Amino acid sequence: MAQQPPSSQPQRPPYMDPNANRSPGPRPPMGYRPSGTPPPNPAFRQNGTPPLPASPGRPPYPPNQQGFQPPHRPGSGQAGGMGNVASPPPNGMRPPFPPGVRPSMPPGIQAPVRPMQQQSQLPPQSPVAKAASPPANLAQTPSYSSASVPDGPQSPTGSHMSHADHQRRKRMYPQQITQAYMEQPGAAQGYGGQQYQAAAAPANGTINPQYFVPGSQQQQSGYQEQPATPGYAQQQPAQPQAPGYQSSVAGMTDQFSNMGMGGGFQVRCLLCENVSKRGPMTDNFFGTDLAKTSASICVVDGNPPTDSGFVFTTSSHQPTGQCKRYTWWKASITSSPHANTEISYKRSTINAVPATEALLKKSRLPLALVIAPYRSLQEGDDPVPVVSDTVIARCRRCRTYINPFVTFVEGGQRWKCNMCFLLNEVPSAFDRDSITSQPADRWKRAELNYGCVEFVAPTEYMVRPPQPPAYVFIIDVSYSAVQSGMVATAARTILDSLDRIPNEENRTKVAFITVDSSLHFYNLNAELTEPQMLLVSEIDDVFLPAPTDLLVNLTESRSVIEAFLEKLPDMFKDTTNIKNALGSAMQAGFKLVSNSGGKIICLQSTLPNVGTGALKPREDVKLLGTAKETTLLNAASPFYKTFAVDCSRSQVACDMLIFGGQYSDHATLSCLPRYTAGQTYFYPGFNAARTEDALKFAHEFSELLAEQIGMEAVIRIRASKGIRMTSYHGNFFVRSTDLLALPNVPRDQSYCVEVGIEDDIKTPTVCFQTALLHSTCHGERRIRVLTICLPVTSSMSELYASADQQALATFLANKAVERGLTSKLDDARDAIVNKVVDLLGVYKTHILGSGSGSTPQLTLSDNLKLLPVLTLGLLKHDGLRQSSQIPTDLRSNAMNLLKTMPVQLLIPYIYPTLYSLHNMPAEAGEVGENGVNLPPRLNLTGEKLEPHGCYLLENGQNIYIWVGRGVVPQLCMDLFDVKTYEGLRGGKITLPNLENPFNQKVNMIIGKIREMRRGNYYPQLYLVKEDGEPALRLWFLSHLIEDRTDNVLSYPQLLQHMKDRVRLVAFPAF
Amino acid sequence: MPGDAMLFLFGVIMAAFLLFMMVFFPLPIWLVHRVFILDFKSIGQVIMFSDLECDYINPIDLCNKLNQFVLPEMGAQAFLFAMFLINGSWLAALLNLPLVAFNVQKVTNNRHMYDATEIFRTLSVHKKECFIKLAFYLLCFFFYLYRMIVALIADA
Repeated sequence: MAQQPPSSQPQRPPYMDPNANRSPGPRPPMGYRPSGTPPPNPAFRQNGTPPLPASPGRPPYPPNQQGFQPPHRPGSGQAGGMGNVASPPPNGMRPPFPPGVRPSMPPGIQAPVRPMQQQSQLPPQSPVAKAASPPANLAQTPSYSSASVPDGPQSPTGSHMSHADHQRRKRMYPQQITQAYMEQPGAAQGYGGQQYQAAAAPANGTINPQYFVPGSQQQQSGYQEQPATPGYAQQQPAQPQAPGYQSSVAGMTDQFSNMGMGGGFQVRCLLCENVSKRGPMTDNFFGTDLAKTSASICVVDGNPPTDSGFVFTTSSHQPTGQCKRYTWWKASITSSPHANTEISYKRSTINAVPATEALLKKSRLPLALVIAPYRSLQEGDDPVPVVSDTVIARCRRCRTYINPFVTFVEGGQRWKCNMCFLLNEVPSAFDRDSITSQPADRWKRAELNYGCVEFVAPTEYMVRPPQPPAYVFIIDVSYSAVQSGMVATAARTILDSLDRIPNEENRTKVAFITVDSSLHFYNLNAELTEPQMLLVSEIDDVFLPAPTDLLVNLTESRSVIEAFLEKLPDMFKDTTNIKNALGSAMQAGFKLVSNSGGKIICLQSTLPNVGTGALKPREDVKLLGTAKETTLLNAASPFYKTFAVDCSRSQVACDMLIFGGQYSDHATLSCLPRYTAGQTYFYPGFNAARTEDALKFAHEFSELLAEQIGMEAVIRIRASKGIRMTSYHGNFFVRSTDLLALPNVPRDQSYCVEVGIEDDIKTPTVCFQTALLHSTCHGERRIRVLTICLPVTSSMSELYASADQQALATFLANKAVERGLTSKLDDARDAIVNKVVDLLGVYKTHILGSGSGSTPQLTLSDNLKLLPVLTLGLLKHDGLRQSSQIPTDLRSNAMNLLKTMPVQLLIPYIYPTLYSLHNMPAEAGEVGENGVNLPPRLNLTGEKLEPHGCYLLENGQNIYIWVGRGVVPQLCMDLFDVKTYEGLRGGKITLPNLENPFNQKVNMIIGKIREMRRGNYYPQLYLVKEDGEPALRLWFLSHLIEDRTDNVLSYPQLLQHMKDRVRLVAFPAF
Repeated sequence: MPGDAMLFLFGVIMAAFLLFMMVFFPLPIWLVHRVFILDFKSIGQVIMFSDLECDYINPIDLCNKLNQFVLPEMGAQAFLFAMFLINGSWLAALLNLPLVAFNVQKVTNNRHMYDATEIFRTLSVHKKECFIKLAFYLLCFFFYLYRMIVALIADA
C-alpha cells in the first residue's frame, strides 16, 4: 500500500479546503459523500466550523478558531492530509498516504465499533468493558473518535445534534460540487469503490474484494470482530453515528450469524453482562467470557476479573447454538470462588487444554503458562491466605500439594490426588485444631478454598535456617559516575531508604564496596564512630581486607552507615579515574555473602574495563540492523555467565542499575540478573543535575530496596498426567527439567513456561500447580502454591474460543526475544508473524470451514481480535523493530523488559496508551469511582494528532506529552506556565503545579499513570514538540504503531499481508 | 610391522578411547585422581545427559565435568586426522574431515563448551550430536580395524 501511486490523487477534488484536511488521513473526504447522506458523524467538524458556544464545564481549548488556526502551508492542499499534521513526515517515517487510501485507514477502528457502542448504551456496564478499553479504542470509528476531535470550543457533552444539523448543511455544498466536478457515478455511489480500486490495485496487483465491496455493507460487517481488517467499504457514508445506524443493530446481529462468532457473540454477551457481574456462580457464561476477552487490554489496566479461571467455551461457528460449558467448580471440592488462581498470578495461553498432542499441533496455538507468582499487592488486592499450622498435605507419589481440586474418598479419610490419582491419607489435623484441641472444619481450610495459598513450611523444607537478608552495594566511583551525580544520588537514596529495607527482625546485613581501578571496602563496625576505608588495589586476585566488619548488621551499625553515606559523595568528588573493575568487585561481594546468600546491587556507570570480566566498547553502528546485531545483544565475556551460575549456586542474586552516558554493554551486564533472578534497570544518559533523572532513579532504587523479596527460592511446576513443561523463559537458573532456582524472588516478575502434551488426556480437567518455596525477608520459610484447573477439550473451536490474547502476546514476546538472541532479529519477527498467520489460517480452515483460497474477510475469534495489533506492537517494539537506529543498550534493555514484565505492564509496553488532553471530557482527571478517571483512549496513529492538539502517550516506562505546532497559547500557559508554543522546551520535564483546573487534571492523570500498575518503574515525562528535536519526535512517533514507520508495515498493511499469506498457505483439513 | 598397520592400530586404539569417552566418560579423571573420586558411579556423556533429564545430576556439575573433555576429545580426533593426512591415508582422512571441520567451526564460534544456563534448552541438540558421534566413532573403529588387518595381510 505504501507504493500507492500518486495517480490516485487527482481524483481528489483539488479545491477542498485545506483546513478540512489538516488532520491526517482517516476522515472520509466529505466531497465524496453522496448527496443526501447524512454526514458521518455529527460531531465531526472541521476547523472552519463556526464555533459553538463553549460549555462552561471545560477549559476552552482551543478557544476560538482564529487563535489556533493551524498554520497550514498554502498549496499543500490535499496531500497535506498527512503532511500537515505531523508536520512534514519525518524522513521515511510515515510517508504521506495518498488521500484515497488513507481516509479509510482506521480499519480496526471500524470493525468492532458497533457492538462496543451498543454496549455503551446498555445501562449496566461492566467495569472491564468500559469504553476506554482498547477494543473500544480500536473499535472507534473515525466518526466516533472524531467526537473528540478538537475544534470549536465545545463542551464534550455539548449538543451534538444541533451541531450535526449544522454540519450537514455545511457539507452539502462541497458534496454537490464534488459530484459535479468529478462526474463520476462511482464516486457518488460507493465511495469505497472507485477510489480504492484505483489506489489499491497497483499495490496488490489484484483487486481485493476487501477494498471493493460497493454497497455490500452487510457482508462487510463480517469484519466486525476483526478489528484488523481494513474494512474500507465500511467507510460508507452511513456511519455508525448516522441516524440509520441505530436501527441497524438488529440487522447486524443477524449478519453476524453468517459471519462467525464474533459479533453476535458479543452482542449477546452484553445482554447478560449485568448478570455476570454478580459473580462466578451465576449461570451466565457469555458475559464472563466477554469480560475476559473483549475487554482485553484494559483488563490489565484495571483489576483483573475475579472469575479468572473460568473457561466458557462456545461453539464459535454457531452463535445461535447452545453453548457448552465447563466450569472448574465442578472440579473443585469447595464452591469457593477463589478455587482457581487469579489470572494476575497465573494464566494460560489457552484456557482449555487440548486432549491430544495432535490437536494441539493442528490448532497451532501455543500452550504456555504465564506466571507471576510473587506479584505485589496493589490497593484492593486480597492478600494471599496463609496456612500457618504447618500441616502440609502432599501426594506421596507426585508431591502435589493439596488443593481445591482434590477429591475426598472413603468418608473423608483419604484424598485423591488430582494430578496422579493416588489415594493419600488426610492428616488428622485437618479435622482437629492442634492448638485448641477442638474439632475443626476442614472445609474452612484455606488450601481447600483458595487456588493461591501460602504454607508456612516446617524445617523439612529447609536446608538451613532462613538466612538474614544481606545487601552488598557495589557502587561505581569512576569519573563518569561521580560527574553524572550518580554516586551522590545513590548515597542519598540509600540513606533515605535505610528504614525501608526489610529489617523486621533486625537481622539485615549490609556492606558497601566502591570501585574504580581499585576496590574500596568499608569497615562499618558498630564500635567505630567513623567508617574506615580499606583500599585493595590488587584486582586480579581479590581478597577481603578484613574478615569481619565489612558486612555489618544494619541496625547495630546504623550510625556508622549513615556517616558513611553522608560522606560518600564527597569522598570521590575530585576523582579522575576512568577505570572500573566491576568483575573483581563482584567477586569480592560474592565472597562477602556467599556463605549466607544475599543480594548484590551494582550501580554501574562506566563500562568495566579492568580486572576480571573487563569489557571492550564493542558497539559498531555498522552492525545495527544487520544479522550480526545479535552478537552485540549477547554477552561479550563468559565471565558474567559463569559468575552468575556460581552466584545462583550460593543463593546470591545480582541486581544491575546501569547508567549509560556512553555504551555500557547492557547486554553483557544484564546476564547477571538474568540467571540470578535479579532485576536490571537502565538509565541512559543519566545526569543527576536534571531533577527528572534523579527523581526517576531515586524512586526506582528506593522501591527496589524496599521490596519485600523472597530468598533462597525454587519454583517447581507440576501438572496432571500426560502434561510436561518443555521450556522456561524468565530470570532464573534452570536447575533441573522442572526446577527453577531463584536466589531471590523479586516482586512483579513474570515467567513464561511452555507446556507440552505427552499422552492423550482422558480426564475432563487438568491442573497446573506452581509451588514457590522461599524464605521471606522476615525469616520464615514459606511455600506459595498456585493451582489452576482447566477443562480438557477435543474441539478446535473451543480451543480458539478460550485462547487468551494477552497471555499469547506475552508468550510471543518471550519467544521472539529468545529467538532474537539465539538467531537473528529477522527470524524473531518472522516467527511472530508466521505464528499469527498460522492461527488465522487454522481459524479460517477449521473453524470457519471456508477452505483455502480467497475470502473477503480475515477473521479471528472475538477473544483474539487484538492479537494482530499486539503482534504489530511487538514487531515495532524497540526490542525487535527492524531499524539501524536503535543503540544496542536500548534494545537489550527493551528485550529484557519484554522478558520480565508481568502482563499488566507488558501489554501497555507493547501497545501504548494515547490520550488527548486538549479536549478531554469533563470528568477526566477527576477522582471518580475507580480513582482518577482517565480520558478515553485513542488509536495509535498519527491521524489522531491534531496540529493544535496536546496529547499524552504512555507505555509504562515513559510518558510523552505531544504538543502540536498550532497549540493555543492559553494551553501552554495553563499547562506548562509558558507563554507561547515557541517558549516550550522539548525533552524531560516536570509539569509545574498550577492553580488551574487543566493543569491539575493533567497532573492527576500523570500521577495515576505512575502508580496504577505494579512494578517499581517510574515513568519519566517527556515533552515532545511537533517541530522540536527530530530524534525525540521520531521516538515519540515510533510509538504510534498503527502507522507505517520506516519500513515496517502499518496496521492495515500488516493485515493485508497476513490475509495474503493466509490465502496462499494451505492448511490441511482435519 | 609396516607403517600403515601401525597407524591403523593407533587409530583403532584412539577410536576405542574416544568411544569409551563418549559412553564412559570420567574414566580418565578416575585414573588421574583415583584417590579423590570415590563416587565412581558417574558415567559417560550419553548417560549423563539422560541423568540430567532425570534430575540425578545438576547442570552445573554436568557442564563442569563435560567441559573438561571437550578439548581433549577434539584434539585427539584432530591428531588422528593429521596422522592420516601425513601418512597419505586419504580415505581415512576424508572420513574424519567432516568432524574436524565441524569441531573447528564450533571452536571458532566459541560454542564448543557446554553452557549450564542454556543446557536444558539445547539438551536435545547435544544428545543428538552425542549419538551421531558415537555412531561415527564406532564406524571408525571398525574401519580402522579392517584397514589394519588389510595392511597386515598385505605386508605378510
